[in-house]
Amino acid sequence: MSRAFTAVLIAIVVVLVVASLAMFTVDQRQNAIVFRLGEAVHVITKPGLYFKMPLLDNVRFFDVRILTLDSEEPERFITSEKKNVLVDSFVKWRIVDVVQYYISVGGDEARTRIRLAQTVNDNLRAEFGKRTIHEVVSGERDRVMDLMREKVDADARKIGVQVLDVRIKRVDLPQEVSEAVYRRMEAERKRVANELRSLGFAESEKIRADADRQREVIVAEAYRDAQRIKGQGDARASQVYAQAFQANPEFYAFYRSLEAYRQSLKSKSDVMVLDPSSDFFKYLKSPTGRLQK
Amino acid sequence: MALNDPNWGRRGDGPPDLDEIWNRLRQKLPGVFGGKGGGREPGDGGGKRFPAGAWLLVALVIIIWLASGFYIVDASQRGVVLRFGKYLQTTEPGPNWHLPYPIESVEIVNLSQVRTLEVGYRTNVKNKVLKESLMLTDDENIVDLQFAVQYLIKDPKEFLFSNRNPDDSVMQVAETAMREIVGKSKMDFVLYEGRESIRAQSQKLMQQILDRYQSGVAISQVTMQQAQPPEQVQAAFDDAVKASQDRERQINEGQAYANDVVPKARGSASRLMQEAEGYKQRIIATAEGEAARFRQIQTEYSRAPAVTRERMYIDTVQQVLTNTSKVIVDQKAGSNLLFLPLDKLLQQSAAAAPPPDTTDRAQAPDMQQQSAPTVDPRSRDSFRSRDRESRP
Repeated sequence: MSRAFTAVLIAIVVVLVVASLAMFTVDQRQNAIVFRLGEAVHVITKPGLYFKMPLLDNVRFFDVRILTLDSEEPERFITSEKKNVLVDSFVKWRIVDVVQYYISVGGDEARTRIRLAQTVNDNLRAEFGKRTIHEVVSGERDRVMDLMREKVDADARKIGVQVLDVRIKRVDLPQEVSEAVYRRMEAERKRVANELRSLGFAESEKIRADADRQREVIVAEAYRDAQRIKGQGDARASQVYAQAFQANPEFYAFYRSLEAYRQSLKSKSDVMVLDPSSDFFKYLKSPTGRLQK
Repeated sequence: MALNDPNWGRRGDGPPDLDEIWNRLRQKLPGVFGGKGGGREPGDGGGKRFPAGAWLLVALVIIIWLASGFYIVDASQRGVVLRFGKYLQTTEPGPNWHLPYPIESVEIVNLSQVRTLEVGYRTNVKNKVLKESLMLTDDENIVDLQFAVQYLIKDPKEFLFSNRNPDDSVMQVAETAMREIVGKSKMDFVLYEGRESIRAQSQKLMQQILDRYQSGVAISQVTMQQAQPPEQVQAAFDDAVKASQDRERQINEGQAYANDVVPKARGSASRLMQEAEGYKQRIIATAEGEAARFRQIQTEYSRAPAVTRERMYIDTVQQVLTNTSKVIVDQKAGSNLLFLPLDKLLQQSAAAAPPPDTTDRAQAPDMQQQSAPTVDPRSRDSFRSRDRESRP
């Protein structure tokens, strides 16, 4: 009874052990190769539950997700104008052909990385050598990356690897060149600053001069109009005078002269030396008013 | 998982002792299976006791095993279920169950949690990572850029299965995309007017690249923390900014001057006009008045010309002679040697007249000796000129 139960237990354990030896799962993220005594007999590219011959068969799993090769230190390249640049890039790759991959690099990821890094470096060196910094940084960046992807991918296919992307991260100038760039930027800013200040001065002067001009014009025009108005007044006055005085010009001369005498001779300090023989004094000398001749 | 089993819970705390469980099961089992077992094969009842307990144990193990398939997905999460390593389904939040190990397994992915990535700095913008932040622009200048990328997982299946280190990928992609966009832009554009555009373009490019990698990541936001020239040239840039403000200031000052001068000129212009108008009115009115006066006198004169003429003449001479000093000399009666001390006469008349300004005399005492008529106009002149000077 106890023994029967133990037997059942043992049977279950044996089944489980055999099952675990004969069955294996391939994860969504993996591909696998089944080796029978060293010979690759079966390549599994779809995930799921699979069987193998216990003990005879041997399974190797490969990660088929997209992997990244990120250069740790920026590489120094020389551009077509013989300038040094520091370039940092990364490669996105994944295993597409596990058998090829296993055969060429032994399924060793580190070896693959080294191999890819070398290919990328060589190609980058070649591409940078054909281009100027400006082209690499802005103009042909896309093109360089596309070319790189094609070339590196073509090479990587030989080891069962697909290269999805080669991307340039940083393109930096070495320290000493950076300093020169900073100096240039500084000079440029100074130029801009000076230009701005001079422009400000010029514009300010322009506004001031314009204001002065306006002032002159306004005052002059006002003077002109004022003189015109005064002239109108003078003309009108002359007209009025002429109209009135024309009635008797002789009397006007008399009247106006008397007025002028009154106005001009009214101070004690005006000394008049008179001859009593004048008409005014005619009665002073004789009551008849006859002047002695 | 064991807690899901109702029997398990009643057994108290502490790690369950297998022997004890076994013994208790043995004691309990007859009560459970006794009726049935005894009814069918009464004689063999004792012999069946152990297998019956064993079956229960097996059932229990199976229940526990099945219960181990329960899992809870939080509202912000999704569960990804794999059957024998193969993707089966994505489960929604709530309690869920999958076939237990080793048939199915579940991986929980945090979906809505926004992940943040800092490029060019760590934690604080002041804590710069120059290696990441300095970038070359199209015009071969260098800018110092700090930005943050916020992203979330839009597809848990892709996120789990396509890339080995999806989070690292986002960082790499963020850097390369931003550098590409900045590399195609001019420095002034990056630093000033184009920040928003740079931000949007880089976000778009990041998303494109990440989609190409099927990373299952959605970039929700790229925020420019800081875009400025490198520290080495900061001073020059600040000065340029100051210069543009100086320019504004100078223009404003010019404008202020203009605003001061032109209205004043307008004011004096209208003063001139008003004065002219006043002059005109005055001169015309004067003329009209004088003309009217003359006309009236003339009317009277024309009635009796001789008398009126005589009267007017005498009136005038009288008025003139009353006011002036006069010397009457009869030339015919007198000799040829007539001596007229005119200056004395003038002095006398001046003394008789109200004394002129004393200060003026003090200043010029010699003027007393000189002829009186010169004193009067001069003093008036000097008076006027002093007045003019004293006025501002």
